Amino acid sequence: MVPAVETTFDRSRRRRRFWNRTLQGAVPYGLIAPIVVVIAVILGYPLYWLVKLSTERYGLFELIRHSGTSIGLDNYRSVLRDSIFWHTLLRTVIFTAANVTLTMVIGTLLALLLVRVSTVVRILLSSGLVLVWSMPVVVAVQIWYWMTNYQNGVVNYALTKLGFGNFFQHDWYATTFSQLSLTTLLIVWGALPFVVITLYAGLAQVPRDLVEAAEVDGARGWRVFLDITLPILRPILLILTSLSIIWDFGVFTQPYLLIGQSKIVPGNYLMSVYLFEEGYFKSDYGRGAAISLLMLLMVAVLSVVYVRKMVRIGDAQ
Amino acid sequence: MKRRSIVALCLVAVLAAAITTAATLGATKKATASSITVWLQVDAQSGWPGVVAAANQQFQSDHPGTTVNVQYQNWGDHLQKFDATLAGGGGPDVIEMGNTEMTKYMAAGAFAALDKTTFDNSANWLKGLAASGAFGGKTYGVPYYAGSRVVTYRTDLFKKAGIKKLPATTAQYMADAKLLFAKNPKKGFSSVYIAGTDWYFAMSFVFDYGGGIATQVSGKWKGLLASPQSIAGLTAYKNFFLATSRGSKTTDESHPNAYDVYAQGLAASMIGPSWFNCCVGKAYTPTTAQFVMPGHVKGQAIPGFLGGSDLAVPVTSSNKALATDWIKDFTNTSSEKGLQAKGNIPNATNLLGTSINERAAARSWFVPTAKHWVDVENGNILRNMLAQILTNKLTIQQAASSASDNIASVLNQP
Repeated sequence: MVPAVETTFDRSRRRRRFWNRTLQGAVPYGLIAPIVVVIAVILGYPLYWLVKLSTERYGLFELIRHSGTSIGLDNYRSVLRDSIFWHTLLRTVIFTAANVTLTMVIGTLLALLLVRVSTVVRILLSSGLVLVWSMPVVVAVQIWYWMTNYQNGVVNYALTKLGFGNFFQHDWYATTFSQLSLTTLLIVWGALPFVVITLYAGLAQVPRDLVEAAEVDGARGWRVFLDITLPILRPILLILTSLSIIWDFGVFTQPYLLIGQSKIVPGNYLMSVYLFEEGYFKSDYGRGAAISLLMLLMVAVLSVVYVRKMVRIGDAQ
Repeated sequence: MKRRSIVALCLVAVLAAAITTAATLGATKKATASSITVWLQVDAQSGWPGVVAAANQQFQSDHPGTTVNVQYQNWGDHLQKFDATLAGGGGPDVIEMGNTEMTKYMAAGAFAALDKTTFDNSANWLKGLAASGAFGGKTYGVPYYAGSRVVTYRTDLFKKAGIKKLPATTAQYMADAKLLFAKNPKKGFSSVYIAGTDWYFAMSFVFDYGGGIATQVSGKWKGLLASPQSIAGLTAYKNFFLATSRGSKTTDESHPNAYDVYAQGLAASMIGPSWFNCCVGKAYTPTTAQFVMPGHVKGQAIPGFLGGSDLAVPVTSSNKALATDWIKDFTNTSSEKGLQAKGNIPNATNLLGTSINERAAARSWFVPTAKHWVDVENGNILRNMLAQILTNKLTIQQAASSASDNIASVLNQP
């Protein structure tokens, strides 16, 4: 029996193996570290301050002195007890549902249309969509505002000329419903290009032979769509819908600019407008922080669907 | 396991380093004493650059080597910019504030107290303006200039309609409006162009009938809009609007600008600051004149909103003495005379002349000097009330009561 003598060679080899393994194990962390640091700095750091701010009384007085007074959860309590908050939330949910439904339905129809039309029409239609997509929101709002102008807007003029009744000096901003409907039109109009082009790309994935086989079996239009096209498009539809929900829930520029500051009242608040008015305009930054964290929470819940789907698609590949 | 904790530790270290770097990057910069920054509204840039230049020259001859950096701002976003500088530094040494914007900032301690007696004509400052710059017995804002609201009208259209004498009462003006409509059947034409939610004009009726917006009763704010006098005023406004204007019932006075409607030939007259005659278009300039808006009692002008500006020194300024000296130069008698020559109302009664603008200022009203008044304005409480009244969504009484309660609760916030 010769005792197992550890040679220098063995030891050094073991050490080398250990370091190799450690380094190899660390590589993924090393690779991910820069992005983690960037996220921590540009997202985590402000988020930390936002949370801190939301637990403080922080108005103009505190802003000048650069220090707030801690008041625990009072800001959250005051927001959650504010009936305007709940009304706004309900209005925003309905608004989002309407916007997303319209965007998805019209988007799908346009994408299907894009497959059927001749090349020339397809090029015209998609260039139109890209033009819409490239239009800055603020410019678009201004143009919509002009078109719906009370005194000499082209919409009133056209509707009157086309015989829809007397729309001379029709006030499109007179009621909340009318204000938010116009905002919806503007948002859907702006959101369509992305949805249509993405879905059109998705439709290219639908195998031609599958459709033909179904048609041989006697399936027609609607049946083919339900049984063949829809299942293949489902993941894309799901992702587009979740993204639209996230975008439309927090939309600010369109409602704020189209309705106009002088017509913004609690009766037509959407969530982010409420946040802006309460936090920024009233210089109640602590309360504003609480509202934005509540909004963040809601959007985070909504995005769970999106993230899960993305992860699953990643796994499948 | 161990490996992971090492990696985690490294991560924390890197993160901490990054945060510290970020924090040091934000360290405040030092202000240079050889220059002061002044924020004025663009009105000065377009209306009276000469007055600004003269004040700068005077200041520089008193303080050789000190430069004045005048930065022009817009009414729409200057407060948001100012808030940002209060939080982050780099703000102005002198700021022009609208007189309705002052109270909130004075109450928050945003401005340095000034010695009133060291300014020209301070004993005779216009009462309304001086009040807007005073808080808790101290002076924070120096009156800069004021502006009242007058009627700008088309002399040719008035003549064509057979109006020989300018209206002496609101009722007379409404009767004249009928004549103007008869001669101008054009669609969308207004005898008097008024934006429905122009609360500056609407409240003039309220004050004309002895009403008010809010008043302080033993330390608490009480809404006054639902009082019988205010209701009478609001009723008069509604009647006047319906009888004279085809403007939108829900829009504000800058969407569209009244002078744009007028320049398109769609108005025989309009209500607004006296400088509105600047922008009535080449075709109508020769036939445009102004008069003082009459009240409901013969011989009395309607009380007009006395808009105006104050100049203040932010507490964040590191050159307060220089800033104060600049304000002295910019509001001294010769500067104020210069402003007056450009159609403004000077800041002191001993300088007042007899222009239409100045005569209109003889009867005036001002918003409640409450810390939260600006929230009432930004919250559009009055505009919303006017829209509800004009579109018949609510009765005058209902709309006024709800607005009145709303205003009281906003003003009584801690």
